[in-house]
Amino acid sequence: MNDAEIRARLASIFREVFDDESIALFDAMTAKDIEEWDSLNHINLIVAVEGSFKVKFTTKEVTNLANVGEFVALIASKLS
Amino acid sequence: MLMADASHLNYSALLRQSKRLDDSACTRTMRLAVLSDAAVPQIVPLLKALLVHKGIRAEVYLAEFDSIELEIFNPQSDLYAFAPDAVIVLNSLNALRLKYYRQAAERSHFVDGVVRAAAALWDSFKSRSPALVIQSNYVLPYERQFGNFDHKVGETFYPMVARVNAVLAELARDRPQVLINDVEALASYVGRKHWSDEKLWTLAKAFCALEHLPLVAQNLVDILLSNAGHVVKCVVVDLDNTLWGGVIGDDGMEGIALGPFGEGEPFFRLQHYLLDLKRRGIILAVCSKNDQATALAPFQSHPEMVLCEEDIAVFVANWNPKPDNIRLIKETLNIGYDSMVFLDDNVFERQLVRETLPEVIVPELPEDPADYVRAIAELNLFEVSSFSDEDRRRAALYRENAQRQTLQTGFTDITEYLRSLDMRVTMRRFDAFHMPRIAQLIQRSNQFNLTSRRYNLAECTAMAECADECIPMYVTLADKFGDNGLISVIILRPRSSVMEIDSWLMSCRVLGRGVEQYAMNQVVAIARAHGCESVIGTYIPTAKNGMVKDFYQQFGFDRVEERDGATISRLHVSTYQARAVHMKEAA
Repeated sequence: MNDAEIRARLASIFREVFDDESIALFDAMTAKDIEEWDSLNHINLIVAVEGSFKVKFTTKEVTNLANVGEFVALIASKLS
Repeated sequence: MLMADASHLNYSALLRQSKRLDDSACTRTMRLAVLSDAAVPQIVPLLKALLVHKGIRAEVYLAEFDSIELEIFNPQSDLYAFAPDAVIVLNSLNALRLKYYRQAAERSHFVDGVVRAAAALWDSFKSRSPALVIQSNYVLPYERQFGNFDHKVGETFYPMVARVNAVLAELARDRPQVLINDVEALASYVGRKHWSDEKLWTLAKAFCALEHLPLVAQNLVDILLSNAGHVVKCVVVDLDNTLWGGVIGDDGMEGIALGPFGEGEPFFRLQHYLLDLKRRGIILAVCSKNDQATALAPFQSHPEMVLCEEDIAVFVANWNPKPDNIRLIKETLNIGYDSMVFLDDNVFERQLVRETLPEVIVPELPEDPADYVRAIAELNLFEVSSFSDEDRRRAALYRENAQRQTLQTGFTDITEYLRSLDMRVTMRRFDAFHMPRIAQLIQRSNQFNLTSRRYNLAECTAMAECADECIPMYVTLADKFGDNGLISVIILRPRSSVMEIDSWLMSCRVLGRGVEQYAMNQVVAIARAHGCESVIGTYIPTAKNGMVKDFYQQFGFDRVEERDGATISRLHVSTYQARAVHMKEAA
């Protein structure tokens, strides 16, 4: 799966978790950019990404995620 | 779960649904408080979505993380201000494990300390609220400090958690307002390896892996629904290739597969499972496309049959469409479609019944009969929130009723028939002995129920103890065919010159016997004894109680007021003419 495919699938997961079809991802995007992105939805997001990409993140990886760009890179590293 | 399959239990699908729930069709509301030593905000939308499927709108109060004691021990807490109908207590193994680690010394007292603390919470809550408590038990841990030898040591974490669960269940047995939410059964079923998500506990104090949280929510909904009177009362079962292998009309008595070994074993096992259901009070009925005599033959003379003719309350074998026959069974038993389960190996019949009678629960049966029992058991269709001697005897009661109906056809005059029954009736004030059955009848009577006020056991007990403000009565009936048990509840509230009928409900299986006439005579007599000039009765319509719409008018009550859909009727005591009854008061 290349970077663009990861981004596309991640975007559709974001749209589903935050129930907002208009969400467009960008690398610097953080929780501040999406109103619904609270701690509860953060967990829902992690679980949905793990399920969709069939990967498992460690606690530290989840805690250290700074923005969407890092999220894409993390998924890519798990898939490679 | 009162649903024919579990495919709806998908975490993200339920979350999506919960965001746009249409509760306009909901006919009732439940107020639920959720207390937990884990963080469980995700359970709120799940509960709401699952309850809306069943026509119930949920108002949920989610307490702060780990505030169970603060909420329950403080009479001024938000929990009591919320006034829940039920409080859901979710205790997590991870939180218990911490307590265990912290109690390095005196571990022999660990079990005792945990269960005493739980019981203290229940009892404190009970002293302040009549609401139901739904207490989770603990998922068994995966660590075994001594390996298999844990069980020989006894005081290690794993065997102690098992002991905590056992003692919690024992303590709950003595407290009817406490029901156990068997989370350990769910976790074992899924597999403990998959149940918990340690990372989510670390990050967010999650109760379990989120994908399994819908199972917890559904388990809670099962308990809430059964407590609200939504229970399965009857299993309607097909015969050929369902109760035995093969077709009796084609293969004959020697040709059908049935018995403890080989091809007949799955059917033998299903019959045992059904017999066990019957023994705990579920009515069994047969609905088969066969000639009556052919269908009955195995029940009468097949050596390996587990079920016998007496186990089946209504036996319908003919060539009519199955929905027609299920309707007949429903009418004979006087129960609702939504309390019936239909088992049939034939996908055509299942689909026909689903489409014609959507309220009937029709589980999908797997292709291999060896999986029948498991497929049915997985659905948890037979959840109840009480169990009385009455339940054990129900199948016999319904069979006696069927005999009464046969006898009835021999009489042309109903009075003569009623006299021939040799009925004995009692009407008494609530007492402790009958309390579980009283509360159960109040929860379960839907059709003959004038106001459908669902008092729980604690409220009934309080009524029994009240001196002046309320006269709570129950009625029992016996006849020459057997004892019908406690079949009616009438709650009166004297208000100076007026006797108000707060509740009047009756089991439909004694309909048309004159119990209501007898009871109304008594009610008027009680009103006179209290010096009341009139009796006031209220009818509150529901989807199911149309049969008693004109109940009070039958006795000469006049409609005096319509309020919020309810009809209020009044009877002047001086004008009441006692109704003829054909029953004697039992000594």
